[in-house]
This record gives sequence, C-alpha cells and structure tokens, in this order.
Amino acid sequence: MSDPLLAIEHLRVDFPEVVAVNDLTLTLDPGDVCGLIGPNGAGKTTTMRAISGLQEFTRGSVRVGGHELAREPDELKKRLGFMPDFCPTYDQLTTSEFLEHFARAFAVPNRAKRIEECLELTWLTDKRDSLCEELSRGMKQRLVLAKTLLPDPQVLLLDEPASGLDPLGRIELRKILLQLHDAGKVVLISSHILSELSGFCNKAAIMERGKLVKFGTIAELGQQMGKRRMSVKWRVEEKNALQILTANAAVKNLEAAELGAAFDFEGKSEALDELLKTLVVQGVRVCEWRGVGDDLEQIFLQSGAKELM
Amino acid sequence: MKLFENPIFLTHKRLVHRNGVLAAILIAGLIGFSLLAGLISYLAAPHDFHFSSAQEAGKTFYGWTIGVEILVLVVAGFSRIARSLADDRKAGLWDSNRLTPLKPCDIITGYWLGPALREFYMAAVLAGSGLLIVVIGHLPITLWLGTQILIVSTALFFGLLGILAGMAFQRSQGILIFLGFLFAYPFSFIAPSRMLTNFLLPIYGIGNLFSSRATYDRDWFGLPEIFGIPIYPILVSLGLQLIIGIFVWRALVRKTANPFQPLLLRWEAITLFIIVLVSQHALLWDLWRGQFPKLHGTNTNFDHDALLSVVHGGTILIGILLLAFASPLPERVRVESLRVGFKNLGAIFSRSAVSLALALAAIAGVTLLTQVMFSLADSIQIFAVTTVNLAEIFLVFALLLEFCRLRHKRRALGFVALWLFVLCIIPFILAGVFSSEAIARISLLAPGFVALSDHTDPEWKLQFHTLLAHFGIIVLLFIGWQRQWKKLLQKAA
Repeated sequence: MSDPLLAIEHLRVDFPEVVAVNDLTLTLDPGDVCGLIGPNGAGKTTTMRAISGLQEFTRGSVRVGGHELAREPDELKKRLGFMPDFCPTYDQLTTSEFLEHFARAFAVPNRAKRIEECLELTWLTDKRDSLCEELSRGMKQRLVLAKTLLPDPQVLLLDEPASGLDPLGRIELRKILLQLHDAGKVVLISSHILSELSGFCNKAAIMERGKLVKFGTIAELGQQMGKRRMSVKWRVEEKNALQILTANAAVKNLEAAELGAAFDFEGKSEALDELLKTLVVQGVRVCEWRGVGDDLEQIFLQSGAKELM
Repeated sequence: MKLFENPIFLTHKRLVHRNGVLAAILIAGLIGFSLLAGLISYLAAPHDFHFSSAQEAGKTFYGWTIGVEILVLVVAGFSRIARSLADDRKAGLWDSNRLTPLKPCDIITGYWLGPALREFYMAAVLAGSGLLIVVIGHLPITLWLGTQILIVSTALFFGLLGILAGMAFQRSQGILIFLGFLFAYPFSFIAPSRMLTNFLLPIYGIGNLFSSRATYDRDWFGLPEIFGIPIYPILVSLGLQLIIGIFVWRALVRKTANPFQPLLLRWEAITLFIIVLVSQHALLWDLWRGQFPKLHGTNTNFDHDALLSVVHGGTILIGILLLAFASPLPERVRVESLRVGFKNLGAIFSRSAVSLALALAAIAGVTLLTQVMFSLADSIQIFAVTTVNLAEIFLVFALLLEFCRLRHKRRALGFVALWLFVLCIIPFILAGVFSSEAIARISLLAPGFVALSDHTDPEWKLQFHTLLAHFGIIVLLFIGWQRQWKKLLQKAA
C-alpha cells in the first residue's frame, strides 16, 4: 500500500473561547477525494487553514507527501493548493495576468501554456482579458480554482468550491474533481451541499464541534451506520426479484417500483454482494445496482451532527 | 530572486501603470520646470529678485525641489505602501502570496518597491530637474548627491516602516500613527544637531548641506558630535537608518514567515532601545559632559534646559511602542502553555512585557546616568526620580496592556487609551480647571519631567510621595494582571 499523501495526526486548534479542532486524525491516499462535512462552526475551514499553514495549531502534525508542515513549510507549499471559501483576486488585473502572478510565484514551467490550460479547464478562456473586478462571483470562484490548480499540486484543499457556481459550473467542477481523482491527487473538499459531494467523493470525514465523528470510505461509513439505501432495476418484470428481496432479513423499507425497487440494507457489504449474486443466479436481469445518490446525506443525517445545522 | 522576476513587484508595477503614471510624471515635470524657470529668470534679470547671488537663488529653488521630492517619495510613498499592504491583507491576497513558495524576503521586497513606483518616477523627474538647477546655479554637485542619497535612503527606510504599518495596523490606524508622528516631530527642532529624530528623518543632514555660517541658520551649521567626536551628519543618518532598518526588515521577514509571532523579539526590542537611547545621549553628551544640569561651555544657542525633558518624552514614547510591539498576545501564551505544558506565573512573567518593561527602564536609567555621572552628588534626586518614574510608566503600560487584552479582548486598545488618559492627562486638565499646579503633579508623567526641567524648586518630598502613590497603582494593576493570567491558565489546563 502506498504512503498517504496527506496525513493529519492529533490536530488541535485552540481559539480564545473554543477548541476549534480537537484531536483530528485522518490520512488520505493518492486518488482520494474526501468530503469534509459538518454543520457551520464544526471546524472545517479551520482544519483546512491549519493544514495549509494559515492557522497556527496547538498540537498535532500535518504531513504532505512525507514533508511535515512544522519542519519543512516550503516543501509543503510546493505540494499543496488551498482554495479558500472567498475569492481573493487583484481586481485591476485581467484573469490571465492574475494567473501569471501566481505562475511566477510557483515558478511554473511553460507559464503561458499552463495558464491557457487552467483557463480552459475552468471555462474562462473567453474571459482571458477581462479584469477580475468584472467577473461574477462564480467566475471569480473558478478563477481562484484555476489559480489553485496552476502549480499542479499533489494535495488540494477546496473550501466550499461550489458555493458561487451555477448548475452548469457545478457539473463542470465535478468533472474537474474526477480528473484530479484519476490523476492520483488528494482532494479534501468541504461543502454544505452534500448531494454535490456524493458523486465523486470516495471518502468522507464528518466533523462536529471540532471533532471528527466519522471518517472512512463511503461504503465503510454506510456499514458503520448500519444501513444503506439501495436502488435496483431490472429489464423485464421479475416477480421473484421482489420475493428474493423480501425474503432477505437485512432488507427493510422495501419500495417496489415498475421495473425495480428501493430498500434499506442493514448488513455488511459482503451480504449485500451476496444478495446481488442471488438475484443474478435466480435469473433476475439486473441492469442497475447502486447506492442511492445522496449517500453522504444519509450518512451525515445518521451521524448525529444534524442537530447543529 | 531578481527584482524583475518578483511577481509581487511586477504585479504592483502593472497595477501602478494601469492606473496611470503619465499625469503624475507630468505634474512632477511641471513643478521641476517651474522652479528651473524661476532660476533662469533670476539669472536673466537678477534685479527683479531679492537673492544676493546665483548660489542663493539656486539653493532656494533646489530646496523647493527636494521639499516636493520628500513629500512625494517619503510621505506619499509611505502611505501608498501601508495602504496597499493593508488592502491586500483585507482581501486575502497577502495570505495567498504567503502560501506560494516565494521567500518572505521576496514578498517584502515586492511590497517595498512595487506600490510606490509612481512616487519613484515622480521623484526621479524632480531629481533630474534638481540636478539642472544645481548645475545652472553653480552649486556644488555634492549638494545634489548628498541630498539625493539622503532622500532615497529615507524613502527606503520609510518604505519599510510603511510595510510595518500595513502589516500591524488597519488602513485608518496607519494614517493616525503617521499624523501623530508629524504632530510630535516639531519638538526635534529645539536643537537640530542634538535630536536623533533629525537624523532618522535626515532633516539635519539636508539642512547642513544647505547651511552657511550666517547667523540665521547657525543651528544647522557644523557637524554633530557623538560623545564629543564630530561626525558627518549624512553618515549618522545613513548609519541609523541602516541599523534600525535591519531590525525592521528582520521583524517583517519573520512576521511574513510566521504571522503568529510578535513583531519584535525581546532581544531585538532591547537592542533597538539601547541603540536609539545610546545614540541620542551620545548626541547630547557634549552639552553637559556628565555634569547635568551644569552646562559644559557656553556656546549653546538653544534652550538646553528643556532638551533632556524632550528626550525623556521621546524615551517614554519609544519604550511604549517597543513594549506594544514585543508584548505577546495572551492567546498565544495560552496556546504555548497548552503546547509546552507550563502553568505557573513565573513562566508567564518571563514571556510577558512586564519583565521587558523593567529591562527597558534599566537601560533608560543607565543612559541617563551618562548625563549626570560626574554630578551625581547634586543630581542624584533628579536621576532617581526620573528613572523610577520611567520604570513606573513602562510597568503601568505593560501591565495595563496585558490586563486589558486579557479582560477586554478586542476592546483592549480603547481601554488602555482610557486608563492612560485618566492616569496621565486628566490631572493636567484638572490643574487647568482649578488653576492648581499641584494637581498636575499627580499625573503619571509629571515626576520625570518636573525633575528634569525644574531645578530650582522641584519639591523632592512631594515627588517621592507621588512616585509612591504611582507604585500603589502598579501594585493594584499587578494584582489584577496576576488574576487575569491565572484565569487564562486555568482555562488552558
């Protein structure tokens, strides 16, 4: 197994009246896209600021690619990109000039080409010569994302990256994140809109009052919660499919549809795999088998953190 | 990193050019041209002017040129840099730049030279027209060279102070501090060659280059003396600006690398205080040669009695500024206590500004001693009252600052100002209202100033009683300070 790209151990951040982050430990491997979930004030932004070095922490350690923040901050800066939840831009610069500023700062090779790539990636190519002050909030958000991607960092911290984006922008953001996942980057992303994260996060970390209450892969968390909402569809009407599902003790709240069903599954992943196998062996022509889209929402709702929302 | 590869410099250059530089350059050119035209007019028709010679006319017109140059480069440059940095901090761009692999010194250099580029262009145009005036007016080229070196070094020095102001204060606070500085500055003109401020802002150096033996500008003629040794004023100015500039640079680089540290380390605050105070007292040395208040020689043409009081005032001001800059934020101490695990007040004391206040008072005492060491039998009371008063002022400030930060948090500064106003200023107001000098003497500031300026009837007994009363205030403050720290440490535990 490869070494974790991002390793946070026993991180603690103290504010005057509150422990903003308390004993947070999590590790992310190459290719991990982890949703950082929690109500307002849970400590998500503080965690990201502490990882990036903008927030002093009381205890703990942060390592990126084996380099520890406290000892080698410069190495960390080369490997880490942080996109804050607001959009710091030089209003009087054009978008390409803004990116050029940071390309120089990060000593990006083939500056002009890389800037074009990032503008294209964030659909800002036609805004290349527009002043930053002329951009809408969503466009500024994309520009800051382009700036974050510019040095091709190994670890990306994205704080509410979709908050100002229109629906199309959110779809495109999802595509970028999937590309980053495929490229083996680590992405830690916080968002209030859980359905946004569901599509591309393979891990989730749920925070509440500065503490990490749940962390793991989506499947693991589903198991920890004891049940998963599943959706199954078949090609032709299959009466025995419903019988098989009803007969399984782990299947609850079964809702039959015209060519399929939805149900809660209270069991381990292996048992779920076994149920699918049974359906196929019994001749059910399964054409879709998936966890219901808003897994994260379910996990979050069941984690107990919702009281603070 | 080379300057023309520095992204922060290049970006600010771009922003300055985008907002236009031509108009500014033309304004500077017009000013320079007008002054040059004035000199040429004088040379063409000398009887229409009341200058006695081409040199006098040249000096006058060149004086105006560098006056405008200083205004543009030092005053406007300082404000531009401070504002630009404060704005970038507010917008989050400072943090964005800090998260890049740029070295802190590159970031500082970018802000140092970038935002005030328009002012540099204007100054260059004015310097060019100044050179023409010097040549046409048959003035020595060293006048141009000396003044330009001093102006550029001062602009760079104030540029660093501008970054410091932008980093430490909000936009409005920086302007207020600058206005305060301008208000306090006229005190330096009591004795131009004896006040350090005239060398830090090289007024004496420039005045000296222009001066002659004429009676009206005798104050600006001749070399200043460091412990009685004559030295070129330009060297004093450049030396002071360089040494203090190095400390400011170090503070800026450290704060950029790690914004959670105090602006000044304790040893830096102490060293700076020593440099400033020793330099100041060295400039004064020749007046009394250690026999204060008895004047050494009679060749002084200014109010020497008030001089040590003005220096005393400056010492208080610098000490308070250093204490404020080096004082740790309580939250930082709490986090450190959580990290390291200390829970006793001894550890707090060694970190707090209170111990630094005592150290600064001791340094001030030693430097004051140089003025009275050969007349100690007569001046022991002056020395004792002034030194104890300084220690009390520094202690009150350090205790008050930390107490208010612990007790009132974000509103601390307002409460510090309030209590300092009550302890220092209200007695003077009441003294005016009730026409009673005695009330003024209870001010925290009074004993030192009275001891240094009133040698005829200083009422020593009353002075010592006042000091004792002030000590009572310190004890009360200390108890409050101790309680607040204990509370914080309990919270940390």
